[in-house]
Amino acid sequence: MIRTWEDLQEIRKRGAKKIHPDKIKIAVGTATCGLATGAGDVLKAVREAVEQCRLDAIVAETGCIGYCQKEPILDVCIPGFPRIFYSEMTPAKAKQLVEALAKGEHKPEWALGKILSETNLIDESVFNYTMEKAPIEIAKIHNLNDISFYKKQFKIVLRNCGMIDPEDIEQYIAMGGYHALFKILTKKRPQTDLIEAVKKSGLRGRGGGGFPAGKKWETVYKAPGDVKYVICNADEGDPGAYMDRSVLEGDPHSVMEGMIIGAYTIGSNHGYIYVRHEYPQAVRKFTKAIEQARELGILGKNIFGSGFDFDIKINRGGGAFVCGESTALMASIEGDVGEPRPKYIHTAEAGLWNKPTNLNNVETWANIAPIMARGADWFASIGTEGSKGTKVFSLVGKVKNTGLLEVPMGITLREVLYELGEGIPEGRRFKAVQTGGPSGGCLIVDTFGWKHREYLGDTAPPAVSYVTESLIDLPVDFDTLTEAGSMMGSGGMIIMDDTSCMVDIGRYFLNFLKEESCGKCTPCREGIRNMLSILDGISEGRGKPEDLDRLVEIAQVLQDASLCALGGSAPNPILSTIRYFRSEYEEHIFHKRCPAGVCKALIRFSIDPEKCTGCTVCVKACPENCIEGKKQKPHRIDEPKCIKCGSCQEVCKFNAVVIQ
Amino acid sequence: MTNEKTKETKQAKPPKEMVKLLVDGREVEVEKGSYILHAAEKLGIRIPTLCYYKHVQPYAACRICTVEVKRGHKVRYVTACNYPAENGIEVVTTSDRIKAIRKLIVEFLLARCSKVKVLRELADELGIKESPYGYGEEGCILCGLCVRVCNEVVGAKAIAFAGRGIDREVTTPFKVDSERCIGCGSCAKVCPTGYIKVASTEEDKIVHRDVTLGPNTAIYVPTMQAVPNKPVIDTTSCIYFRNGKCKICAKICPTEAIDHEMQDKEKEIDVGSIIVATGYQLFDPKKTMQYGYGRFDNVVTSLEFEKLNCAAGSTGGKVLLANGEEPKSIGIIHCIGSRDKNYHEYCSRVCCMYALKFSHLVKEKTGAEVYDFYIDMRSFGKGYEEFYNRLLEEGVRFIRGKAAQVSNEPIYPEEEGKLVIRCEDTLMGRVRRIPVDMVVLCSAIEPRDDSPELARLLSMCHTKDGFFAEKHPKLAPVSTATDGVFIAGCCQGPKDIPDTVAQASGAASQAMSLAAKGFIEIESATALIDDKRCTGCRICNDLCPYHAIEFIASDKISKVNDALCKGCGTCVAACPCSAIAARQFKDDQVMAEIEGVLA
Repeated sequence: MIRTWEDLQEIRKRGAKKIHPDKIKIAVGTATCGLATGAGDVLKAVREAVEQCRLDAIVAETGCIGYCQKEPILDVCIPGFPRIFYSEMTPAKAKQLVEALAKGEHKPEWALGKILSETNLIDESVFNYTMEKAPIEIAKIHNLNDISFYKKQFKIVLRNCGMIDPEDIEQYIAMGGYHALFKILTKKRPQTDLIEAVKKSGLRGRGGGGFPAGKKWETVYKAPGDVKYVICNADEGDPGAYMDRSVLEGDPHSVMEGMIIGAYTIGSNHGYIYVRHEYPQAVRKFTKAIEQARELGILGKNIFGSGFDFDIKINRGGGAFVCGESTALMASIEGDVGEPRPKYIHTAEAGLWNKPTNLNNVETWANIAPIMARGADWFASIGTEGSKGTKVFSLVGKVKNTGLLEVPMGITLREVLYELGEGIPEGRRFKAVQTGGPSGGCLIVDTFGWKHREYLGDTAPPAVSYVTESLIDLPVDFDTLTEAGSMMGSGGMIIMDDTSCMVDIGRYFLNFLKEESCGKCTPCREGIRNMLSILDGISEGRGKPEDLDRLVEIAQVLQDASLCALGGSAPNPILSTIRYFRSEYEEHIFHKRCPAGVCKALIRFSIDPEKCTGCTVCVKACPENCIEGKKQKPHRIDEPKCIKCGSCQEVCKFNAVVIQ
Repeated sequence: MTNEKTKETKQAKPPKEMVKLLVDGREVEVEKGSYILHAAEKLGIRIPTLCYYKHVQPYAACRICTVEVKRGHKVRYVTACNYPAENGIEVVTTSDRIKAIRKLIVEFLLARCSKVKVLRELADELGIKESPYGYGEEGCILCGLCVRVCNEVVGAKAIAFAGRGIDREVTTPFKVDSERCIGCGSCAKVCPTGYIKVASTEEDKIVHRDVTLGPNTAIYVPTMQAVPNKPVIDTTSCIYFRNGKCKICAKICPTEAIDHEMQDKEKEIDVGSIIVATGYQLFDPKKTMQYGYGRFDNVVTSLEFEKLNCAAGSTGGKVLLANGEEPKSIGIIHCIGSRDKNYHEYCSRVCCMYALKFSHLVKEKTGAEVYDFYIDMRSFGKGYEEFYNRLLEEGVRFIRGKAAQVSNEPIYPEEEGKLVIRCEDTLMGRVRRIPVDMVVLCSAIEPRDDSPELARLLSMCHTKDGFFAEKHPKLAPVSTATDGVFIAGCCQGPKDIPDTVAQASGAASQAMSLAAKGFIEIESATALIDDKRCTGCRICNDLCPYHAIEFIASDKISKVNDALCKGCGTCVAACPCSAIAARQFKDDQVMAEIEGVLA
């Protein structure tokens, strides 16, 4: 039980010992991204090797440090050495590494980077690693923060992810955790002060809409009623986005601390966290976090002896995308079908069970404790005029470095793509960036996108000339993205190259929404269905000249007349692709061609006889047996039989299979 | 259960807070908490709706009622059915943008349900000929009215939405027949497209015993010309008494006369005289097993057949078999339970004539063959015999002889699937088998089961057959042994309506004459209790057949009510302490009389 500042410091000391122990500590990143690449086996291998070599070492688990592409990652702390991260481990490599460590050797060639000093975000205390025992090859390892993926990052939300054991509250406290909460509760800081701080910080809701958090808190605080609720929305459903999952898996306490501060501010004693059922690790870790917090008196009755009561319940969602919408989420917690209701009366006034409710997203909650600890001015100094602080993005798609990154608002797309992402593999060309998931849009990042016809050698002028500038230098924040026809969303950032067809992308998102719309209101349910059928027609070569106008017409009605934000933003992927890639649509409609070579009805595969060496690999790969040809002689595809699966193109080493 | 709403319960409601807003440029004031739709309604501006229904919460799913709301410079598109009317807002109900939105929504819905009437009408209104988005055959527009009515109003929660996005549909849990469905039909009633049909999950047939007069609802006027002519609630069918919900009748009643919390009340009324007109009950034909009542669906009693015949009944006056078809032949069997030594020896008097009426109606309505099985045709009375002769000409087949049996076992091919009446045709002198589709049993009129109890209560006598006995068959046909108690109608003996009305008029005038006189004449010879000798043993109290002696608890003695005492002398003889004497017949008076005779 923590009652006094001394109690807290006592635990902090214990925690710090665990993070930087006097002996070797090997931590394996076992967040979902790590486990997916085999971190489970690596952990097992490390444990076995440590036992075998009788190495006096602690084997621990930790979250994701963001560089998901390089998982599984091992974090090795040796007294007298800098902290070293080894990437792309396999059980065999892990075993070798442990054996090397046992002999006092190292594997600098596998290292991703090293850390020489750590600055605590909360109280700015610095921990320095020593180099006293480290040999020269260790010194030569890059500093982690100097490698391009980390260089421009600024971690507030992800401050502890991958650095501590998420299942140990003491380590969180050692990182300055619950200090802000302790001060607030024991000094009984006035609620209005706290609201003022959040308002002044300029924090905007990270769930997608970007509603000013302070304003929402104030409304809930002022709303009449004894019973109020705080909810953490962890129903992350955008394809390709997993920021919330990583935070919950890597640092659950940071979210919880934010929630408790929020609850104290608005005067709530009950909190809910709505996590999707597909995040079992997040649920498990958060459950453990709640238990530990209760044990230390951070949750439950009389927190820190301040007289304030608060507890959190975990509510698992059934995996409906629409339950990420605040009113649908509340309906789901209440036990009803997750369907949105009109928000003419805000949830801040009548939310869960018709009581004033403060709902924020995982990332928003995780920002609260640092704001309280470092002050609103510090937070407001990061980011742009309208969007303060940082934003976590999940960078996925056709880019060299994929993973989670936290960057200050206002960073340009160019910086993200070329510096953090290190550009595109295999010399292909960037075409578009999709942000905001199904509610967001595709932004053009290379004028190449609409110049496909030229690229294909078609010199005839396009049916409609439509020129747009590349948005590669667009600073990323809430307002610029909305202006550009997309939205921040929860932070998914999908990079597409010239093999992505924009009509197909539109279809993909509508297909997703077709099933994930709740189906309650007519415009959303029927509009998505009909837009999809028009797009299907276009991609199958049945496009009509009026189709684009009709799509825009439907899209506008959806924006105006849908019941909730899901329907209102559903046409964004279509509107933005029409806006930036109109010529590509026209190519499909007027010339019945798919420049990116994706829409199966509009493409045909053929073998370039000059390039084909007659190796017969494609013959074996073809599932329909429609490739003919003798050994050493150029092959030929029997077109009527071809199902356009692309298997031959994938296996051909000589790029002889071409799409026309 | 209804109507009696006294003035005390109608309290003055506090004045509601009002808000002012502009709808299409016209100012309107409505109660706070109402929606834009109500404000527009007040001005007579029609906003189309599909998913709105007054008695459930607004749902805002169809979006057809989208309107433009201006507050300051901010313009929003909102749904009129659930956007709260607020002070100072400006509402535009028709603009080009709104029309475009409505048009597209209707086109979408038409593409889904192209044949639905309400959508067709809306399409005509908006000038849509065909939807460019397709031609679907679906019947449900997913407005959710049925679901909300079932949940909010009925409380049965038997149907709900299942599936997300384009898979959304209305269904019962797990798409199987729901036990929670109470079959109230509310969902079908509110469905704007008529897509929901109520069907029995069991075999669909008419059960004649359940056929009622008038519409089948839980709130109804008991009978036509009921007094008072006001509805009652059937607590076994009413949704409120089953699920605690609904109360729609109370919501729509303009005078707020419906009170579901009302309890049954017992009232004591002091009256000067009582007319007993408790009527009769029908002989239960199940006792005559040979006629198959209760075993065969199409064997019905005369009263059930009368309900089928009634134009306001639930078949609308159609004579139908259990399977809903019209009968091709009907047999009417007279004297079921009457003129029968096993049951009632008397003649029920009315059967012959109503059987003739049935025969006539069936001939007229269905043209079916009608067979009348009678013992004697008793068509006495004015115009009755003429009616019988008319039916003979209409072709009704009269068979003299009591039917012996109704069976469903065919012997001959023409009897297949029919009911066979076996009887002796005494005029032809042989046994016949007559196949018919339906058999009507003219059950006897018999005294009600509870008439002995009533007789005891009112100190009336009854005759051997169980009907109440009149004081004198010729001289006092409506009076009973108890003064001030009169009888009228079938409780006294079987009779038809004219006779009943005549007798009732007689009884009424007898009662009136008592009331008009203002006083009553009592017997001169009544019993008298001597207060000094009465010990209060109360033996006489129970013995008095006229309940004329009551015990005065304060004085601990019994007292005779002179108005009731008939001077029978029972108490005089029974009094153990000779405290009771009969006036005019005191011992010394009797002795003096004897002496006088002997002298």
